[in-house]
Amino acid sequence: MALFAASAQQEAVAAPIQHRFDPYEDNGGTILSIAGADFSVIAGDTRQSQGYNIQTRYARKVWQLTDKVVLATNGFAADGANFVKKVKQRLEWYENAHQKQMSIKSIARMIQTMLYAKRFFPYYVYNILGGIEEDGTGAVYSFDPVGSYEREACRAAGAAQSLIQPFLDNQIYFRNQTFPADQPKPIPGNLPLGTVLGLVIDSFTSATERHIEVGDGLEMYVVMAKGRAVDDLTSKGALPEGVVVEELGPLGEGGGERTFLVRRTLKRD
Amino acid sequence: MNHHPAAWGQPLTAHQQFDMYSTNPMGMSAPRSAHSHGPVQNTQWPLVTGTSVIGIKYEGGVMLAADNLASYGSLARFRDIERLHALGTHTILGVAGDMSDFQYLKKELDGLLREEETLTLTDAHPPLSPNNLYTFLANLFYARRNKINPLWNACLVGGWDFKKDESFLGYVDLLGTTYTAPTLATGFGAHIAQPLLREAYEAKAGVDLEGRPGADGRLLTAEEAEAVIDDCMKVLYYRDARSINKYQVARVTKDGVSISESKSSETEWMYAEGLRGYGGQTQ
Amino acid sequence: MSIQEYNGGSVVAMVGKDCVAIACDLRLGNQATGIAMNFEKVFPVNDTLYYGLPGLATDVYTLREQLRFRVNMYRMKEEREITPETFTHLLSSTLYEKRFGPYFLEPVIAGIAPPTAANPNPQPYVSTLDSIGCITTPKDFAVAGTATDKLYGAAEGLWEPDLEPEDLFETISQTLLNAVDRDALSGWGAIVHVITKDKVITRTLRSRMD
Repeated sequence: MALFAASAQQEAVAAPIQHRFDPYEDNGGTILSIAGADFSVIAGDTRQSQGYNIQTRYARKVWQLTDKVVLATNGFAADGANFVKKVKQRLEWYENAHQKQMSIKSIARMIQTMLYAKRFFPYYVYNILGGIEEDGTGAVYSFDPVGSYEREACRAAGAAQSLIQPFLDNQIYFRNQTFPADQPKPIPGNLPLGTVLGLVIDSFTSATERHIEVGDGLEMYVVMAKGRAVDDLTSKGALPEGVVVEELGPLGEGGGERTFLVRRTLKRD
Repeated sequence: MNHHPAAWGQPLTAHQQFDMYSTNPMGMSAPRSAHSHGPVQNTQWPLVTGTSVIGIKYEGGVMLAADNLASYGSLARFRDIERLHALGTHTILGVAGDMSDFQYLKKELDGLLREEETLTLTDAHPPLSPNNLYTFLANLFYARRNKINPLWNACLVGGWDFKKDESFLGYVDLLGTTYTAPTLATGFGAHIAQPLLREAYEAKAGVDLEGRPGADGRLLTAEEAEAVIDDCMKVLYYRDARSINKYQVARVTKDGVSISESKSSETEWMYAEGLRGYGGQTQ
Repeated sequence: MSIQEYNGGSVVAMVGKDCVAIACDLRLGNQATGIAMNFEKVFPVNDTLYYGLPGLATDVYTLREQLRFRVNMYRMKEEREITPETFTHLLSSTLYEKRFGPYFLEPVIAGIAPPTAANPNPQPYVSTLDSIGCITTPKDFAVAGTATDKLYGAAEGLWEPDLEPEDLFETISQTLLNAVDRDALSGWGAIVHVITKDKVITRTLRSRMD
């Protein structure tokens, strides 16, 4: 009996290991968007991971929403995929009701509302929205998981945000750069497309070097304003070696804006 | 535990309450806090579990494998459970994790397929494609995780996609997380089998511009794929303490689903005096 | 918050063409509160060798004095200046002595050894150690402190091989400033040392003060 009493006592003291269900997960990866005067670049790597495991080397994080808007999602992949599905559904309803595609600033406000609607069981997703504003300028909107948002010239989010954002501050916002008195400080968001794509590629190759959750492949969506020449993207030698361009057809009537998908590899280690 | 019929219905002594099958934390019910005034929380954990499922695409089809064991903690409880389940004519489902949730899934999906079948017979209604079933599963798993009442499984779905005229292979788990890849593995298999599968697959198919394996390369033949699957199941049996040397292999091709009889790997447990290939040894 | 982040601060070092640079921010904080804006974290060992000690401020003083003592002993015994390589190992063993009660510092070292008969053409050298003395000797740059990941991103994007002293100064300055501007625990000014074979250029940088 004494033997049994001892084991019972032990049972009472040793609390069972709590194994509560955690509905969230971080699937790594990084996204980035930069606005130009008449274009916008929205990029993401294609690795999806869980801890030290690479689940797949190709999972999409960047989604074409309309003829002039592209959305990048990062964080918990299941939330991301289901959030994008709901956004697309709302956009379809809007198009059916109004016989036109939703503008980027309206999509941005709609996304804030949808995110805040789940304020107390949030989508664990960082969103970056890129595309062409109604006045024809390139735009970037960035969000936090519960819907706080603002329009910016550039934004990085995800696993390598802390690596990429300081570099972007320097190269896009010209932070800590000084210019001669006769030369005005350039306005952010006006860099040529070739420069922007170069910065995006450098950002991702750098992040791939130093962050284990970034790598495998890079997808850069380029949205061009109506009437803009595209030879700085499509002409021979416009892009570095190993980069491939593909034009994506319009989703709707096609208002003159054009979307391109630019791909390249990233290191797989 | 006392299994004598005379003990049935008797309250357990403290000693009997000791968790002799070491299912902790799996077999524990959530402790009810005296200070909690909130609603009852039905957090659950897997109880009777299946281990890894592995899958690989090959020329003209896709292949899945899973062993026949359903464990109760560390106890090898049920040794003839089939964890590969055909869904209609061109889809196969392989399930790891909680086996009672798997049984529920089977019932749910078979009901859905029966309903669809009646429609298919009377109408020009197309049958559910592997992709349709995969999406259904993803939505089901994600809806259950949103209710904080998950189906505690990790599944592989294999199939033949007639629209694209190529094989399909996808993963979905208790969080609603989904992904596709030419080789997949759940649980312990993700650590042990996935590297072997990727190595074999990429050796032949190569890698495309986005680091995606084998979009434009040659695929393994069915024989080569089965050889690497057999190898993986053997290594898993050697190294996974929750596995058993009895497994099935399923294939899906244009011609439909086939699930093999259970088979075993040839294993070698002799003293490894002559073993070479680890660490710094060169000969 | 970890003890390594109690006071904040960051250090970066870079290799150039026949030169090296090392830089630090000037903030001393008490968690989120800023306390001082003149807290240098980079110290000279001799004319061609500097090291930085980001981490717990109280350990900065202790380890600096400990190293001053040991380098002086080395100088008197050997009757020559210590080389960056040797200093790295001296620091490593000093840190490992406290293996089970470490200094909460991640040192960064930068220097060029003076030419000797045995080594007539010494190469620029940077190294970094963890808090218990594990050595890494990168070919390009070393970073440490509360802005580590920001410094990695900025440096990986800005650094290139074979920079001349003035270009190396610009590169390390931009790297440090843009990194610490995104770090709440680093900033409040910066100091850069560019070490060449025959001189050291030290410049104080003005930066964002928020």
